[in-house]
Amino acid sequence: MIPEPTLSHLKDRIAAADHPRELVVDVMFALQEHYGYLSDEAVETTGALLGMSPLQVEELATFYTFLYREPVGRYVIHLCDSVICWLDGAESLRDHLCRKLKIEMGRTTPDGLFTLLPVCCIGYCDRSPAMLVNRKVYGPLTPEKVDELLEKLKQESE
Amino acid sequence: MPKLIIDDISVAVPEGTKVIEAAEQVGIHIPRFCYHPALGSVGACRVCAVKFLQGPFKGVQMSCMIEAADGMVVSTTDPEAVDFRRHVIEWLMINHPHDCPVCDEGGHCLLQDMTVSGGHGMRRYQGKKRTYLDQDLGPLVQHEMNRCIQCYRCSRFYQEYAGYRDLGVMGIASRVYYGRFGPGTLKSPFSGNLIDICPTGVYTDRPSRYKGRRWDYERTPSVCIHCCLGCRITVNVRYREVVRIEARYSPTVNGHFICDRGRYGFFYASSDRRPRKARSGGAETRPKNARDEAAHRLEEITARHGSGSVAVVGGSRSTLETLAAERRICRQLGWQGPSLFTGTEESAAARRAAGHLTTDLAVSLEALKNADLILVAGADPINEAPMAALAIRQAARNGAHIEVIDPRPVTLPLEYVHRPAGTDKISEILRGLGKPSTEDASGDIQDLAARLDQSRRPVVVCGAGKIASERTVEQAARLARNLRRAGKKAGLFFVMTGANTFAACRMAGDPADLETLLLMIEDGKVRALVVVEADPMSEYPDLARLVDALAKLDLMVVLDCIDTETARAAHVFFPTQTFFETGGTLINNEARIQQARPAFAGGTPISQTGGGSHPPRVFRDDIPGTEALSAGQLLMDIVSALSGGISRSVEEFDGVAPEFSGFDPVEATGERGTWAKLPLRTAAGPDSPQMGGETPIKKGELLLVESVYGTEALSRSSPWLQELESEPALTLHPEDASRWGLQHGDRCELSTEAGALTVPVHTSRSTAPGTLVLPRHRRLRWQVFQHFRSGLDTVRIRKTGGEGA
Repeated sequence: MIPEPTLSHLKDRIAAADHPRELVVDVMFALQEHYGYLSDEAVETTGALLGMSPLQVEELATFYTFLYREPVGRYVIHLCDSVICWLDGAESLRDHLCRKLKIEMGRTTPDGLFTLLPVCCIGYCDRSPAMLVNRKVYGPLTPEKVDELLEKLKQESE
Repeated sequence: MPKLIIDDISVAVPEGTKVIEAAEQVGIHIPRFCYHPALGSVGACRVCAVKFLQGPFKGVQMSCMIEAADGMVVSTTDPEAVDFRRHVIEWLMINHPHDCPVCDEGGHCLLQDMTVSGGHGMRRYQGKKRTYLDQDLGPLVQHEMNRCIQCYRCSRFYQEYAGYRDLGVMGIASRVYYGRFGPGTLKSPFSGNLIDICPTGVYTDRPSRYKGRRWDYERTPSVCIHCCLGCRITVNVRYREVVRIEARYSPTVNGHFICDRGRYGFFYASSDRRPRKARSGGAETRPKNARDEAAHRLEEITARHGSGSVAVVGGSRSTLETLAAERRICRQLGWQGPSLFTGTEESAAARRAAGHLTTDLAVSLEALKNADLILVAGADPINEAPMAALAIRQAARNGAHIEVIDPRPVTLPLEYVHRPAGTDKISEILRGLGKPSTEDASGDIQDLAARLDQSRRPVVVCGAGKIASERTVEQAARLARNLRRAGKKAGLFFVMTGANTFAACRMAGDPADLETLLLMIEDGKVRALVVVEADPMSEYPDLARLVDALAKLDLMVVLDCIDTETARAAHVFFPTQTFFETGGTLINNEARIQQARPAFAGGTPISQTGGGSHPPRVFRDDIPGTEALSAGQLLMDIVSALSGGISRSVEEFDGVAPEFSGFDPVEATGERGTWAKLPLRTAAGPDSPQMGGETPIKKGELLLVESVYGTEALSRSSPWLQELESEPALTLHPEDASRWGLQHGDRCELSTEAGALTVPVHTSRSTAPGTLVLPRHRRLRWQVFQHFRSGLDTVRIRKTGGEGA
């Protein structure tokens, strides 16, 4: 269940919008914030709030990289998967991350700490190879810097 | 008109024509997957690439995305364009499974054709193919996502064209997935069109799986008989079994699509329950014996009681040929009828509609799409004539304003204004709108009157049958005519009750309806009934009275192709051929004469004679199960066995009705079998008593209505459509519901003196207050209410289940 304040805040915003549908991404993010990921229930709630069918919400939810239709770890790592970062070694960095976390791209570590996902160009080409951890950008990265960061995050979570 | 050159052929096309369409006009078919004439262009598949040699564009471009312009020189055969297309096909084939031999689309697959014609014969890609999990989409459509080439036709048709929201496209890049939010039956009554438009085998026809390849089928152009619109179809037959119906393109009637009732309603034709033998006194007999028996007893009765003691009852699922035979027999032998309608009011409304439909006012489904204002009065398109709803949606997509005046909770897949008005109010509203000056219009319809005033191509869509009254029909026609007088391209579109209702209006005799005929049976005036392709016992709203009347008869002869209650009650029964076997002429709701050829010779399907195995190894000189004749022919045979009977061919129309003298359906419809329209003149006839004014509804009214599945005589036996039926329920306004202490989801008992039935209660604010709506559903014994519109003073309502019960 979505807490009443969140829900009524969303309803107010939807009521004030000229075209409620324009808020669909905002609503999905708000519900993802609550559930930790965009659950089936959240998709259905979004549809009900905006007068859309669950499918129509799903069409958008599965399009956007930062909407998670499955549970994710505490730290979601989005490694840039575009041309400038490729030139600066993103692929070997990806291999390093997979080795280090013992997971494939798209997976979450068994302890629930890290989820590893690719992302299309995030606009930090000046800091390539770059990645986002919970939306905060890091770069230019080296394997050592990645190790350091992962260690730090692990300690923070304890 | 831009003029361009395509492959050295010069062509002038209207402004806005895409190059791919311009090429078609000179007979050049540019490859395409995503482009579809009904859906337009999106440029998703890249396979329609051509090379622009001169003009505003240069080089290889997508012909579906570029509008024809003056001075363009286009080559579809340029090596660069050919190579481009070849690579696109190879690329689309990278993930496509090589399962053509086991794929149901194999043999009529656009991707297969393009792959072969594009020259991609050798697979170079050695990697893994992308795979998906499929969804269960219900009994009609089989899903196989691995075959998808991401053309977007399905989601565009389903959501944009048809207006349903439970199938679409999800994911991104290599994870693009076409399907539903979760597995489940598709909600659209147009879902079968996915099968036709998918360029490969992602959506295939589920009921005909494993029945054969397209080239195995006998394929015949035909006309759909499951509602009044007469959509064009292709019938697929194999081993004496109708296995599949496909939409057949018609530029004026249905365009590219048909509804699921039309596509999957054919089960009756090859059902193992279909009667194949004549019966006399309940026992099977040879056709000749049955015919002699019927003729002998008819002769006896006419000798004793006069020729007026025999009556013919028919219906609107008969062909024009059969109806004409009925009419001619009744006229020449002095029999009563043919009675082709169920009730007096229905007959009056339908015949008034047919009388008012003049050539200038009648609009086709295609023209309905071009209307800029559509007023639906006393009609429920999605349930009564589904393709009309699809046409109205296209008008709405083009900016038309849609307004519905109907007591039922009409749902249309589009935005519209619904005015829930009782059946007695519809004609008043139309009358208010029809006045020459809109200033006379009363307050709440002024807005609509103003819109009508501003419209240029308004169309009035009006029911004409069991729900909309004769007066509603009259006012709708007057409104349309007034609009035309005001200089608008106004149209009139009647939603009639059956496939051949228009013909029935012209062919009905005296009495025209069963209700009046019953009086004559009850008086003892009519002693014998010949029932032709009709089932009064499940169509007449007062079963008790009907059964009593039928019991008084000395003889009931029934001719039908389906096993009905009436057929089982017959003294003498004859099996008839279905429309698939006889072909014949139908006149649709806009008076369009359409001719269908026989799709096959009939007979018991081999799957039944062989019990699923090899057919019996027995030599015989006929086809098993072909005793049936066309109903018209059978009638003629019976009558010619009478002494002093008539013996003429069923195809002759002379002397049947004035419009049809010298009528030759083949000539009238031309080689293509669809274009002619009946020459029409207003023949509305004198006003009936009802025309003075509606009887106001006092305590409320119960309407027995049609629903998309489960009510139409032929399609309701289809097991696939039965799976789609929702449980028939009583729908009423929540405030009315509270009068009887009812809530949404409760169950209630409806009873009259004649009987009772129990149904779930649905409440809907779009139901007119005072109106109760109940489908004439096969699962309900609704024949206790006596009329299709019955006053609530005769109906008792009692809550039997739900909260507090």
